[in-house]
Amino acid sequence: MTRPETRQEVRLMRNAAARRVSRRGLMKGAAAVGLTLPAADVSFLGAGTVGAAQDAPLGSALIGELEGPIVLVDAPRPATLRQAPMLDALVADGALPPVEERVPLEPLVVQPLEGIGAYGGTLRRAFTGPGDDENGNRWVSGDKLVFWDYTGTEFRPALAKSWEFSDEDRVFTIHLREGHKWSDGAPFTADDFVFWYEDIYTNPDLVPTPQSSFAINGKQGRIEKVDETTVRFVFEDPYPLFLTILGGTTFMGSGHMTNRGFHGGAYAPAHYLKQFHPKYTAQADVDTLATEANVEDWIALFRLKNQWSLNPDLPILGPWRSVEPVNTPNWVLERNPFYYEVDPEGNQLPYIDRIQMGLAENLEVLNLRAIAGEYDLQERHTDIAKLPVFLENQEQGDYSVRLDPGAYGSDATLQVNHSYDADPEVAKWLQNADFRRALSMGIDRDQLNETFWLGVGSPGSVAPDPSVPQSPGEEWRTKWSTLDVEQANRLLDEIGLTEKDDEGYRQRGDGGGRLRLEIFAISGAFVPFPRIAQSIAQQWQEIGIQLDVAELERNLGMTRMRNNEHQLFMWANDGSELIYAFPRHALPVDPAEAMMGPLIARWYVTGGEEGAAPKEEAMLEAMDLYTSAGNQNAEESNTTAQEIWKIIVDNVFSIGTVGVSPAVMGIRIVKNTMGNIPARQVNMQHARTPQSSHPATFFFRTGG
Amino acid sequence: MADTVPIYDPTKATVTPSPAALAPEATSGPTAPAVSAPGPLAQFPAPGEPLLTSDAEERVAVATQAQLMWRRFRKHRLAMIGAGAVIAFYLVVALADFLSYADPEASDAQRGLIAPQRVQFFLDGRFSPHVYAMVGERDPATFKRVYTEDPTQIIPLTFFAPGFDYKLFGVIPADMHLIGVEGVNPEETLFLMGTDLEGRDMWSRVMYATRTSLTIGLVAVVVSLVLGVILGGISGFYGGFADTVIQRTIEILRSVPTIPLWMGLAAAMPKTWTVTQVYFAITIIISLIGWTELARVVRGRFLSLREEDFVTAADLVGARQSRIIFVHMVPLFLSHIIAATTLALPAMIISETALSFLGLGLRPPAISWGVLLQQAQNVQTVALSPWLLLPALPVILVILAFNFLGDGLRDAADPYA
Repeated sequence: MTRPETRQEVRLMRNAAARRVSRRGLMKGAAAVGLTLPAADVSFLGAGTVGAAQDAPLGSALIGELEGPIVLVDAPRPATLRQAPMLDALVADGALPPVEERVPLEPLVVQPLEGIGAYGGTLRRAFTGPGDDENGNRWVSGDKLVFWDYTGTEFRPALAKSWEFSDEDRVFTIHLREGHKWSDGAPFTADDFVFWYEDIYTNPDLVPTPQSSFAINGKQGRIEKVDETTVRFVFEDPYPLFLTILGGTTFMGSGHMTNRGFHGGAYAPAHYLKQFHPKYTAQADVDTLATEANVEDWIALFRLKNQWSLNPDLPILGPWRSVEPVNTPNWVLERNPFYYEVDPEGNQLPYIDRIQMGLAENLEVLNLRAIAGEYDLQERHTDIAKLPVFLENQEQGDYSVRLDPGAYGSDATLQVNHSYDADPEVAKWLQNADFRRALSMGIDRDQLNETFWLGVGSPGSVAPDPSVPQSPGEEWRTKWSTLDVEQANRLLDEIGLTEKDDEGYRQRGDGGGRLRLEIFAISGAFVPFPRIAQSIAQQWQEIGIQLDVAELERNLGMTRMRNNEHQLFMWANDGSELIYAFPRHALPVDPAEAMMGPLIARWYVTGGEEGAAPKEEAMLEAMDLYTSAGNQNAEESNTTAQEIWKIIVDNVFSIGTVGVSPAVMGIRIVKNTMGNIPARQVNMQHARTPQSSHPATFFFRTGG
Repeated sequence: MADTVPIYDPTKATVTPSPAALAPEATSGPTAPAVSAPGPLAQFPAPGEPLLTSDAEERVAVATQAQLMWRRFRKHRLAMIGAGAVIAFYLVVALADFLSYADPEASDAQRGLIAPQRVQFFLDGRFSPHVYAMVGERDPATFKRVYTEDPTQIIPLTFFAPGFDYKLFGVIPADMHLIGVEGVNPEETLFLMGTDLEGRDMWSRVMYATRTSLTIGLVAVVVSLVLGVILGGISGFYGGFADTVIQRTIEILRSVPTIPLWMGLAAAMPKTWTVTQVYFAITIIISLIGWTELARVVRGRFLSLREEDFVTAADLVGARQSRIIFVHMVPLFLSHIIAATTLALPAMIISETALSFLGLGLRPPAISWGVLLQQAQNVQTVALSPWLLLPALPVILVILAFNFLGDGLRDAADPYA
């Protein structure tokens, strides 16, 4: 029996059939995300979902209508304010001021999804250890300066009640809320911004490299205080994109609680942090504190003290604060009695008193507990492969399953290291567009989708979902990204990889034997990277490419990636649906995580002083376009983003597989006792899902 | 039949200073002379009464040691079963590709997670083994892949059927397989043990896994056996400085923790090696450490035996040292060596399986029992596709078989015990 050809053909036919059945409907469902940055048409969102339901596609029953709480912009403070019963005693004792003094004069009024909730209860969920602080960060992202509505498309006020550009977009002014207080009761004012700018951001010990998100055309911006509640961000050149930057998960815009020890966020609790800063406290005293805290020096001390997840004493502005830190078996959060959000009836949010995250170092254990109904709300680390088991146990576990498809292109992207230099022969091929195109066409994405995404995902390139305003269009999802072994082999032959060994693998051009590529695949991630990579290695046999899969633990893999040791790195390209706010998975411009070329990212942020320039013209072109978008408003910048995506996809800078799926943080297990939970929420990095659903409005129907 | 074997008193048979032992050309091994010697027999409680029928006595008396061992061994029923099972397993090792019917790497998502298929033996009252074609799709409500039999499509099973190409014993190109199906591709129709997530045939994968798992420990065990006997022998026989050096080396080696060593070595191997090569290399390195236990035992036996009179006697009549060791002493603790070997083999197999299960040993694309079990190590397998846990069965069987076999061999190797 001669096998490869016939098997190939059979598979193609089957895949085509499977696509017809399973994918079409879901794509429509995903289209309902409706990411239109300048103006979102909410009615369209509903219509899209209904259309999907009529088709009865795979997963449609579990993908509900996109919905969420509504921020009532400019709503006045309700006449009477109420607080959670757990605070009554504290107020009576005088340990806390009355609620009228704790809530700002102009609070953020949020209309909850279903209605006014009941106070109380402890929400149980799971995290996987200190490295999983993002698990909590996303729930407390209410401390961002500006945020989005529940569709993730329109800006909404958050800490800043309003903002405006002036001086031809060179000055961005934000207005804070009168009477806004930190979680310890100290006032939150413009001085906290000045402190952050003068004593943290511009202190090279704390922030060693100036951040590109706070610069336009390579020129750094600065922060000025106008009055107690007015702050100006001043740039030398027009920077209209800065609003999008603040809305995204960026160094400037992530908020104080998501600074993760890098001190981002544009403000910090000056009154608290000054005691750890040698400018305000004698160096000797700070050193003593550092010794007492068992850390190396004041810099490490400051980093420790400025992380809410590790330091329960740190004043914060989010809805919950740590009472048990993240490095304990139970990460416990408790309400911030000074939180600035209220519902229309004047109830101070959040409704839920406590969030208790139990440590589950093993993902199987975590999922098993979720199946047993031990968590109230878990959307992180839930495994799409277990979806049938989740569904089977819905009644027994008293929960329901909801799917939130993401909007980015690929959950398991083969990120190509464009600055790889350890093996010049391999580097040469990795920097060859035709080579990458051939690799991409050698992947049978329908097979991967059916096996690892249960057919729910969308096979394609790295380009985001066509409904996203920055998407270059449907055809760019499939460009160079459908199985075509014949053309792939032809491309590889044409570029000179014609020599094969007796097992059919192509040989290196320098006579060094078989051409072997290596991919780093992190185990224990949201999707089974090593197993997917193994399948791709199997598929690449047909194009004569040997792929070795190096299965690595996350920290080791990330360290080796930063050291420029990887050839290919498998990772989701999440966040790339809003490319300027989170560009790291689309272009190598962010040294914090530059799988596509650590040296190139270094070169980019240092203006060419360090690192290595990209070798390909097209890469330079894409990066130039990316840079130029800083001077553009949202609409223009979206057009530019489409051009960038076309270059990325046409040159296959990285290889997409299957995406626009709920596999990453989109399998939501919701206890039936919970209220104000949307049937479907956006699943986007910049919307800090679930912050886009305002977890402060979630509550227990039974009172917990 | 030598039903009467237990009449030999072991202590007397071996310890009694037999005059015959002084004769350097005693029949076969140091214990054999005791059999033909009249002395020990005369000491039995009822002298004069023949304890053996002359026929049986004759047979025992003239039997070689190998014959005695075989007779003894045959009486151990579990050991016989164990031996049969081990032989069967190693037949699978030799013929893995012949016994499988599908390419173990051939995957197709459209046939992922099929449960083991029912084989129908009779068609219209005639014996004609066949299976029904399977039709599958994903259930949009439960997200499970659901397969149903299509009784209109009958697929007859055939024997010695052509299938995928392979090389028998690694050299002879062949495409014949024990089982096959008529007219269609077996990879798409026959699922005797079901399929895994990627749609690969479990039956064929288990065959290949058996080959890997059972081969990989063999060399390691042989290496540690040779090293153990030689170094333990030197240490015990010569004593003195050699003994000190070897014993201190053993202590140092035994203090090295194996799992971190394993992990470190796995990372240090050349990148161009395949996973199997890497594992093989590591196993050998581990066996370079694993000889220590056997060496200790051998040394102890040497220490006690070298003081025995028959050793002194052999020495006195001028036998070479190698002769004294291998002809006079080694056969005395042969049973121990055999036991150690047959127990070391399953230990190696178990350690391969355990380490692969933990993700430290073999890794895909290598196929071994541990790898198969590692991939079944999740909630959804237990809940939805329990047949993926079937590779645990051969692990249990082969370990039991080896232990029974070892038990029987140990008894048999010391036929007078």
